[in-house]
Amino acid sequence: MAKKQKIAAVGKDTDMETAYRIERFLAAEARVLDEERYDDWLAMLDESIVYKMPIPMNTYRRNRPGKSSICETMIYDENFEKLKQRAAREDTGMVWLNDPATHHIRTVTNIESFCTDEASVYDVRSKFTLLRSRRDKDHISHTGTRKDLLRDTGDGLKLVSRTVFLPERVIVDKNLNMFF
Amino acid sequence: MSKFDYNKLIDNDAALQSRSIFWEPEIYQDELKQIFNRCWLFLGHDSQIPEAGDFLRTYMGEDDVIVVRGEDGEVRAFLNACTHRGNKVCHAEWGKTKAFTCSYHGWAYDNMGELAAVPLEEAIYDNLDRSKLGLVPVARVQNYKGMIFGTFAEEGPDLVEYLGDMAYYLDVVLDASPEGMELIGTPFRVEIPGNWKLPVENAIGDGYHVAWAHAGAMRVVGTIGQGRGESVLGIGKDNTGFDDSGQMQVAIPPHTVLSTLDGQSGYALYDNPGPCIEYLEQVRPSVVERLGDVRGNQLLGSETHMGVFPNLQIIQGLNLLRVIHPKGPGAFEVATYSMADKNTPDEVKDIIVKHVGQTFGTAGILEGDDGDFTEAITHSPNGYATRQMKGWLGMAQGRKMDWEGPGEASPGIVNELCQREFYAQWQRTMLAESVNEILPKKLAKKESANG
Repeated sequence: MAKKQKIAAVGKDTDMETAYRIERFLAAEARVLDEERYDDWLAMLDESIVYKMPIPMNTYRRNRPGKSSICETMIYDENFEKLKQRAAREDTGMVWLNDPATHHIRTVTNIESFCTDEASVYDVRSKFTLLRSRRDKDHISHTGTRKDLLRDTGDGLKLVSRTVFLPERVIVDKNLNMFF
Repeated sequence: MSKFDYNKLIDNDAALQSRSIFWEPEIYQDELKQIFNRCWLFLGHDSQIPEAGDFLRTYMGEDDVIVVRGEDGEVRAFLNACTHRGNKVCHAEWGKTKAFTCSYHGWAYDNMGELAAVPLEEAIYDNLDRSKLGLVPVARVQNYKGMIFGTFAEEGPDLVEYLGDMAYYLDVVLDASPEGMELIGTPFRVEIPGNWKLPVENAIGDGYHVAWAHAGAMRVVGTIGQGRGESVLGIGKDNTGFDDSGQMQVAIPPHTVLSTLDGQSGYALYDNPGPCIEYLEQVRPSVVERLGDVRGNQLLGSETHMGVFPNLQIIQGLNLLRVIHPKGPGAFEVATYSMADKNTPDEVKDIIVKHVGQTFGTAGILEGDDGDFTEAITHSPNGYATRQMKGWLGMAQGRKMDWEGPGEASPGIVNELCQREFYAQWQRTMLAESVNEILPKKLAKKESANG
C-alpha cells in the first residue's frame, strides 16, 4: 500500500483546505482569462513567473538531444514582462482577428496538489481543454497538461511557474496566441 | 500538357494574378510536378546533422524525405518509403541511427540507403536482389556553405547555377565568418489552412501589411513599445521609398531580396537589442573586410528578407529561416528555425531564439495575424464569382533605383516588386517544358555598377 502511494504521488498531498483553495484559484484564473480580464489575471501571477511551453520531441526513445544544434525549442518562454506585453497586445483593440470577439472556454480538471520542500510553495498538476471559437465556424480545441508551482503569499495564492504540455508536434491551428 | 493557360493566369504587365491559382486542385497537382519535382529545395543545414548517422526528416513538396549523413560522412536524401510495400521507414523527425527499419515487415536500410537486412531472407526469397532495393534517392543533393538542398531533377542547373547571384546576398548570412551560420533548436511546425504561395510572398516582400495587419503587436514590441522611434519596418512614410530613403526590394530572378539597408534595423523589434547590436558592431569590421563595404555596412544587420524560390525564406534581423511545405491546395505547413552565426555569443543566441519564438514562433504575436487573411484569400474562391477575381500587385511598378549589388532594385520596402517577381517565376516554372527552362534567361551583368 505504502509502496504504491510512493509511485503514484508527485509529493506529499497538501491538506484539504489548501487543495480546495488551489482548485478555486485555478477555476478563477480560467474564468478571468475567459472574460478577457488580463489585468486581473496578471495580478494572479508572481512577478518572478516562468511560463513555458516546450515542443514535444518527436524522436525515437533512444535518441535524445546530442551534439547537433537540434535541441529543445520553446513555443512559450516568457517572463512577467513578456506576459504583460502579450496582454497589452490583446488590449490594443488592434488585433483584427479578435474583432468580432473571440470566445474562449477553459476547462481545468484532474487537479492534484502536492507539497514541496518549501512550506509555502505547492506543486500543482492539472489537465485542461481550451476551446476557442470565433466568427462563423472557426472552432478549435486544445487539450494538454500543466505543471504549476503556486506560492502562498500574504496576498493570496500566486502563480510562480507554469509549464504547459500540448501533445501535438505539428500544431494545426492558425495561432496559439492565448493564455493556457 | 496542362489544361490551364499559365500565360493568362498571371498577367505580369498588369500585375494581376487569377485567384484560382490559390484554390484550383488541378493547378496544385501541376505545381507538385512542375515546381516541387524540379526546383532545388532546401532540405536542412550541416549543423543539424554533423555526425555520421545523424538524420532529419523534411518534405519536398508533399514527398516525405529523410536526409541523413551516412557512415562515410556523405549527406544523402531518400524518399521515406520502404521499397517492399511503401510504408514509411522512419517516423522520428530527427536523431541518430545506423539503420532505418520498416515497421511493417522489418526490412532494414543502412544510413547510406542500402537495403541491409530482410527478415528470413534466405528461407523465403529466391529472387531478391538487395543491391537493387535500396531506398529511392533524391536525384541530386548539393551543399552551399552548409545549406543542404535537393532536387528530384536528374538534369538541369546545379545548385550554384540555380542560386546564381542570390549567393551574393545569402553570403551575408552564410559567410559572414569562416565558421558560418547554424540553425538552432528544433523547428516550430504549424499547419495553416491557406495556399502555400501566400505565406511565401508575404514573407519575402509584403512590407505594406506590417504596420496594419500586425498593428496590435507593433504597438507593444521593441522599438515602438519602448518609444525608441516611430519609423520601423514599414511604419511611417519614410519606408515607402517615396522619398527614396534608401530601402529597397531587388529582383535576382528567380529569387528576391528586401532590405532596409541601414545596417541595424534588423533588431528594431527586439525588446533588448543592446547585446545583439554590440556584437554586430564588434564583428562588422571583419565582415566588411570579408564581404566588402556594401554587404558589410549596408546589408549586415539590416532587416533583410531573402526569398529562394520556391519555398525558402531566410530573414536576417529577425534571424529566422522558414520553409513552407504545401499540404494540398488549401493548407501548408511552415517550419521555422532560429539562425545565427556560429560565433555568436550564447547570450546573444538566447536573445535571438526567444525573439523568434515571441514574434514568429507557433505562439508568435506577429505570426498569428497572418494565418487569418491567408485562410480567407485561399478559401473564399470556393465561391465561383469570387474565383473570377484577380489579385493586384501593382505597387511601385516601374520605379527603379541605383544599387551596387546584383539584380534590379526598386526603392522602399513597402513595394510589391518581390511579390510580382515570385509570381513571374511561378508562371515561368509552370510553363517550362523542361527543367532547363525553369531559370530566366541571364540578365546582362551590371559590370559598370559593380566596378
